[in-house]
Amino acid sequence: MLLPEPMSRIVIAGSKSNLDEAIDALYGLKMIHLIDHTVGSDEGFSIGAPRPYVGKTSERLLSLRAVEKELGINFDSENDEEMSVGEVRAKISSNSVEAIGGEVFKVLDRRNAVAQKMAEETARRDDLRKISGIPVDLELYRGYDSLAVAVGSVKADPSAALAGIDSELFMSGGETKKESNRVIALFVKKADKEAALRLLADFEFSEIAVPAGTGPAAAAAAESETKIASMKAEVDEAEKELAALKEKHGTDIIALDEELSIEERKGSTPLRIATSEYSFIIDAWVPTAKVAAVLSGMDKAMGGKIFVESQEDRSRSLHDVEHAEPRFKETPTKMKNGAYATNFEYPVKLLSPPKYHEIDPTIILSIFFPLFFGFMVGDIGYAIPFMILGAYGLKTAKSKDFKAIATILFFGGLWAFVFGFFFYAEMFGMHFIGAAGADGITVDGTAVTWQSLLGVTFPDWFSGIFPDDGHGISKLHAVTFLLKISIYIGIIHILIGYIVGFINVKMQHGFKEAFFEKGGWMLSFLGVVALCWGMTEILIFENGFEGMVLIMFIVGIALIVAGAATTMKKEGGAAIMELPGLMGNILSYARLTAIGMSKAGMALAFNYLGLVMFATEVGGVMGIVCGALILIVGHLMIFTLAILSAGLHSLRLQYVEMMSKFFGGGGKEYEPLEIKRKNTKIVETEV
Amino acid sequence: MVDVGVGMIAVGAGLAVGLAGIGTGLGQQDVGAAAVGAITEDMSLFGKCIVLIVLPETIVIFGLVVAILCMFVLPGMA
Repeated sequence: MLLPEPMSRIVIAGSKSNLDEAIDALYGLKMIHLIDHTVGSDEGFSIGAPRPYVGKTSERLLSLRAVEKELGINFDSENDEEMSVGEVRAKISSNSVEAIGGEVFKVLDRRNAVAQKMAEETARRDDLRKISGIPVDLELYRGYDSLAVAVGSVKADPSAALAGIDSELFMSGGETKKESNRVIALFVKKADKEAALRLLADFEFSEIAVPAGTGPAAAAAAESETKIASMKAEVDEAEKELAALKEKHGTDIIALDEELSIEERKGSTPLRIATSEYSFIIDAWVPTAKVAAVLSGMDKAMGGKIFVESQEDRSRSLHDVEHAEPRFKETPTKMKNGAYATNFEYPVKLLSPPKYHEIDPTIILSIFFPLFFGFMVGDIGYAIPFMILGAYGLKTAKSKDFKAIATILFFGGLWAFVFGFFFYAEMFGMHFIGAAGADGITVDGTAVTWQSLLGVTFPDWFSGIFPDDGHGISKLHAVTFLLKISIYIGIIHILIGYIVGFINVKMQHGFKEAFFEKGGWMLSFLGVVALCWGMTEILIFENGFEGMVLIMFIVGIALIVAGAATTMKKEGGAAIMELPGLMGNILSYARLTAIGMSKAGMALAFNYLGLVMFATEVGGVMGIVCGALILIVGHLMIFTLAILSAGLHSLRLQYVEMMSKFFGGGGKEYEPLEIKRKNTKIVETEV
Repeated sequence: MVDVGVGMIAVGAGLAVGLAGIGTGLGQQDVGAAAVGAITEDMSLFGKCIVLIVLPETIVIFGLVVAILCMFVLPGMA
């Protein structure tokens, strides 16, 4: 359960004439993880070529994607109803893609042509409008032998400057402040044109090409306007037709796209396998438990036309892998976790998927991640909303990220409830369990205790474990107690990390290696723990250097020396430098208390502000409203911060303190060949 | 008469957490900036970056432990 699914390598061989059938069968099994063939790894074999039909399929897919783009269809979208594969295939073979493409592009071409003309006509109309103020008919602008005409816009009135040149100047516009709409038409002798243009340059003359036509420019502009309107109607008509086509073919297009993509994928599969002139060989990984199913499945699909054989059951030892061919060295990882733990694969993959040869930390993570989260939050006032939010998220969330967050919220909330109710007895920072005389609650003069609440009597030794503050364990007062618990949790957590590390190395290299690589560290770690315990007893609790303390001291030092010696043999002297880090690792768990404390402190502050200062001391409606507002905003803030701080710190303890003790990561995920259909479905009777 | 000793203990605890916090902040600012850059280029580095970012955090935890010892253990010893 802790290890990834065991894998076996199989080889499939057959005649090339059956390749299409074989590819269909492989995809149908959904268990085959292909090993890419590398050039030169098998004599006489080379990488296969795509199936002959792929060319046509790609062409169709390309044209379909172009149609989708023009019609604004997203090929990832989903149809309401799935179309049967038989129907889709019939459509493809009856040239449906080409027909749709033809229909769409016919309208599209028409629309584009009209739109192009419309753009030209609009430019013509704009020019006509500009010169419409000049009282010269359009035909009079051209056709002279000795006269040159310059028409354009100027920034200021150029008539004074042009006085020296024999010319006729017409001008329009410029009456308003906006000088840019001043347009001139200058009729000048051809010989003087150069000189005139040079003069006009000072007025930022910019030429307008006079459109062809007859009669006044204003009339021509009006006529042009009508033309544009009719063209616009044509374009709109075409757009409408396109929309109708989208409506008509939309579902077909999405279904066709899916089927063509699948065909293309299947048809390109030979690029990953080895083929010779008449045969093909496929190497693949299959979960060991599924080998029999694959053998019988292939046999059923292909009859005797194919040869399938299991080559090896891959062991976890790295020695066995050493001599394997390079392409067979890496085994894909298929994480194998139960319904509950599967939810926690995401945070592990966030770091890196585990390798095939190591323990998958998901299960350990799935226990401690929510546990730590709950320990830090530890308040039923926040736990219940967490659970509701998490449950809602788990039910509705589609994206992997949100699902992961919902998971931690729900299970973390569950633990927060357990801790909040049975351990801290806290709700929104207030204790609901308390002994008489303390600040706890009393009902009919007797204190509310767990014993009265649950109707059980705890044995003395059990009650004796917890500090008696008169109420549930206070995050703000029982700090030393909580700190102690945090450290103990940390020691267990880290030890689990070391044990898993030991198992990993033992599995990969054998017991001796494991002892030198991880065993040494484990001894040192236990030594540090013993020594720290002894030091705490002496320095903080002022116990004498005798009895149990003395024993722990000696044991601790002995373990550290033995551990360091073992480790040094493997890793060299530098390993000693790492020893103080062990204490850092343990102390890091103090954050379990710290985060809880910070939350309780904030809750206390808001409760005091809201309940005591505003609601009681200020009083009145205003006081109560303000107090309530402060409580709502404050607790909402703590609630949000809890997700971030408790969630991230809990994750950090897993990643850094525990997983760094054993986790290598960098595995390749198991990705079997399979076809996921969203918009098409296989109907048994057809296929 | 105000007990100056208790006050000094509180000041010490505050310094322990505060200074350690500054240290952690200084450590994390560089790592954080670099990590954000790395994640922008390759989202799959997120997990590894988180590990790197939170490494300096241990320092502030040390400060906190010292502060807690100051606040809760020292007065008992006196």
